[in-house]
Amino acid sequence: MSKYILPVFIGLVILAAFIKKVPVYDNFVKGSKESISLILSIFPYICAVLIAVELFSLSGLNSYLAKIMSPVLTFLGIPDELCELLIIRPLSGNGSLALLEGIYKTHGVDSYVSRCASVIVGASETVFYVGTVYFSTTKVKRLRYAIPISLVACYVGAIMACLICRIM
Amino acid sequence: MNLVFTVMIIASLIMIIVVSPESAFSIMISGASSALKLAFTLIAIYAIWLSVLGLMEGIGLNKAMNKLFRPITKRLFKGESDLALEYITLNFSANLLGMGGAATPLGIKAMECMEDGSDKATDNMILFMVINSTSIQLIPATIIGLRAAAGSNAASDIILPSLIATVISTVTGVILAKVFAFITKKERKKDSVVLPKAPLFAKIKSRGKA
Repeated sequence: MSKYILPVFIGLVILAAFIKKVPVYDNFVKGSKESISLILSIFPYICAVLIAVELFSLSGLNSYLAKIMSPVLTFLGIPDELCELLIIRPLSGNGSLALLEGIYKTHGVDSYVSRCASVIVGASETVFYVGTVYFSTTKVKRLRYAIPISLVACYVGAIMACLICRIM
Repeated sequence: MNLVFTVMIIASLIMIIVVSPESAFSIMISGASSALKLAFTLIAIYAIWLSVLGLMEGIGLNKAMNKLFRPITKRLFKGESDLALEYITLNFSANLLGMGGAATPLGIKAMECMEDGSDKATDNMILFMVINSTSIQLIPATIIGLRAAAGSNAASDIILPSLIATVISTVTGVILAKVFAFITKKERKKDSVVLPKAPLFAKIKSRGKA
């Protein structure tokens, strides 16, 4: 069902534009042009963040931190195996998908741990990416309490995810 | 951001120097080149979505959607312009439907409309970021796809739990953001009352409030 949403939606918009005599081709040219300038302003931010994230996950610091944090997580009802995922989730979207696939392989895709991991990834976003990219074209340099609150909210979601998966 | 970034890089570098110093530079390059790859993919995705968005503006769809969601968005984002609310509505709709590629350019435009020219994020900008970073997706299509690919018996079983977890995290985020906005506003008011002898300082404070 959901696979039809996208093509039907875009098709309807183009059809409506044609009926209302909005120049479709001109709009696509303009949109593509805007896309390049948008990426030019976003790219420096993604690049800096990804260098740091790559260093963080490949240096082994990530798994080291996961080990330190695991008693706290167990207390909150989150399985040990999900520590690394919880640390990487707010930093890197691709990184967390890779970890998720790893968890499926080691624990079996329908296990409790895997379902928890799926819900955690599905119900959160890459906080640092949103924080850098969304503000990239503004003058804002100080995000004040934005990132701490986003992180807390995401982790509340993660704790709930583990709880819900245990019941359902 | 500067602090988080610096701490992250220095801590990771120390770890690498201890474990395998020769890999440090190649790891940094691989980070930068994955950013490059991502940027190219994003150019393609945003080219399509910005075009579709242009058409939506052309046929007045964004205005119609804004009218529909205005009662909610107006209450959440007090004092924002109609244009900002329009982009916010479109960003939320794109997020709900799982069109991440469309949500990002819309979110950036919404932020541009909300900025007050200072280097500090306004309370509304922060609220907007918090809602976006707690994910408000109705159906986590990517995860379901991954689960199906891994041979799950019930790949879409996670839809309801994800939805509940998302709602809880988003509501938590909104409440926290509103509470913090309230507290910082109070503190700023207090500061400008307590420090009447420092006019320059008070001026900076009150400018931040505007």
